[in-house]
Amino acid sequence: MEYGLRLTRGDALPADPRAACPGPWRELLPPGPAVALYFGSEFCEDRLPTLAEALANCALAEAHALEPTLLTPLATPDALQRVQALLDGLEANDRQPAVVFNDWGVLGLLRRRHPDLPRRAGRLMNRSLRDPRAYRDAPDGCATHQGMRFARMRRFLADAGVTALESDADLDGGFLGDGAEALERTLHLPYAFAASGRNCALKALLYREGGGFSQAIADRCSAPCRAGPIPAPRADTPVPQWRAGNTLFFEVPPAALRGFIAHADRIVLHEEAAP
Amino acid sequence: MKILAPLREAAEVQPLLQAGADEFYCGLTPPGWEEAFGKAWANRRNARSAGVSDLADMRRIVELAEGRPVFATLNSPSYPAGAVPRLVEFGRTLLDEVGVQALIVAEMELMLALVDEGLAPRLHVSSLASCRNPGAAAFYRDLGVARVVLPRHMTLAEIEATAIPGLEFETFILNDGCVFEEGLCATTHALGTYCMHDRVGGKYVQLDERYEFWRWLQNNSGCQTSRGFTLGPCGLCALPRLARTGVASLKVVGREASLARKAASVRLAAAALERARAGGRPEDIRSRVIELRGAPELCQGAHLCYYPDVWNGPKKGPGATSACASAADATPC
Repeated sequence: MEYGLRLTRGDALPADPRAACPGPWRELLPPGPAVALYFGSEFCEDRLPTLAEALANCALAEAHALEPTLLTPLATPDALQRVQALLDGLEANDRQPAVVFNDWGVLGLLRRRHPDLPRRAGRLMNRSLRDPRAYRDAPDGCATHQGMRFARMRRFLADAGVTALESDADLDGGFLGDGAEALERTLHLPYAFAASGRNCALKALLYREGGGFSQAIADRCSAPCRAGPIPAPRADTPVPQWRAGNTLFFEVPPAALRGFIAHADRIVLHEEAAP
Repeated sequence: MKILAPLREAAEVQPLLQAGADEFYCGLTPPGWEEAFGKAWANRRNARSAGVSDLADMRRIVELAEGRPVFATLNSPSYPAGAVPRLVEFGRTLLDEVGVQALIVAEMELMLALVDEGLAPRLHVSSLASCRNPGAAAFYRDLGVARVVLPRHMTLAEIEATAIPGLEFETFILNDGCVFEEGLCATTHALGTYCMHDRVGGKYVQLDERYEFWRWLQNNSGCQTSRGFTLGPCGLCALPRLARTGVASLKVVGREASLARKAASVRLAAAALERARAGGRPEDIRSRVIELRGAPELCQGAHLCYYPDVWNGPKKGPGATSACASAADATPC
């Protein structure tokens, strides 16, 4: 197993990548080297890095012989332009990160303007069920891991020059397939997203009563969520959950993990739930 | 622009035509689905509360629509193993034998399978596919689909930028908001509505009252009507701008709603469209809508607006509590 790291609390890279995630998880994961450093955002366009931040992340990655890997979200027209400017800026500075896309428009941009950058299909390309309440009666999640579910889509992505698939540990399994399409298979742990959108409760705090939410979806946000995730417990499930900006994440029950590891070549470990 | 109305049964066709519907959409679960795939929904809504009962009723719907297009939803965000070949076969039956004009599809595996079958020109990309920019729209155009349903949470400026030539676009116009974004919600209503029990809590507990009010609005103002009209999210004042953008179809949401609510929603949309076609400005349309629907405080604060940027900036409206309490003439469902 190889590991990617997504650090949100600082720049210190652990000697063992498994040290990046909460304690109980470390013993569940097989040993292996860190090979990639993830930065950016899959869930919020206001968490896209500036060019300076992206360059700093690329430098940090390269200093540790890791592949810099830029996460990109679903994009509005404005965000699509910002992704384009960011990729142009990185290229102008001789940086060639891998790019995780979650939007067909971003894939088109990569194919058209940056064909040499490795393209990785992100977690939102897999829309399978991830409902923390579903573990109440089935603690192991009952995923079937039937790769045939997405065989056509994997071939389509491979034909589009995509090199890797990434996914949460969803309730069905199967998205990553069995490797037949020569797509590298990447699993994100220990958090899966449950729901996301543009109407961010934390962003609404920046507005007076009557503002925020749908009246502010296109406003740029100063991202108060950078302070870290907020526990978001619910009465209808014991599964731990967090609000991280515009997205609710839950910690995947460890019992659900076993089948997924067998279908992954890489695990991306998140220090904390982050959009 | 056409008014796209939701349907659940053939008996609803005539009243909705009379109310002003130009097109229809509905969902039908394939025969034998539950035996093969259990409780997994075939089209994003509970088949019992929102679906057409059987193929015979679907045929009757198409017949009664008298040439107006009927579209069928096969728009779950994902399907169990083995479902896609079954849905392709069923989709072909709906198109070729029943007379459905197009299929509304969200899941990429199913969409690619239907494209491989040569059915792309008879596909609509569901809002669940989250097409939010011109690059994504171009992707779907290259697949050859006929129409893209844009997600709820886009501004008018974003719709204008996304509505590229060579595709039809459909936008939400009335009812049933979504707290998150439907295409980005990985939970299932089969376990209850996840978002309605979401609380911010902790050190941000002061936000919860505002968040609750906003969720209440998305849920059709607590599932209420005023003068028979659903008090849900509404984009009617944006009709002139949507028309200039070239939007082809205006979606009234609510397959599972009662016929009375559906018909009232279509009547309201038709009245607003009539005003827009006569050159009415957003302010004129708002006046007409308030005249019919009431609840002016929800309009004055732009609380119900799907597209609040129609007012070029947020309007300052009444506070959460006052608007909640004074929704005029409101009747709970």
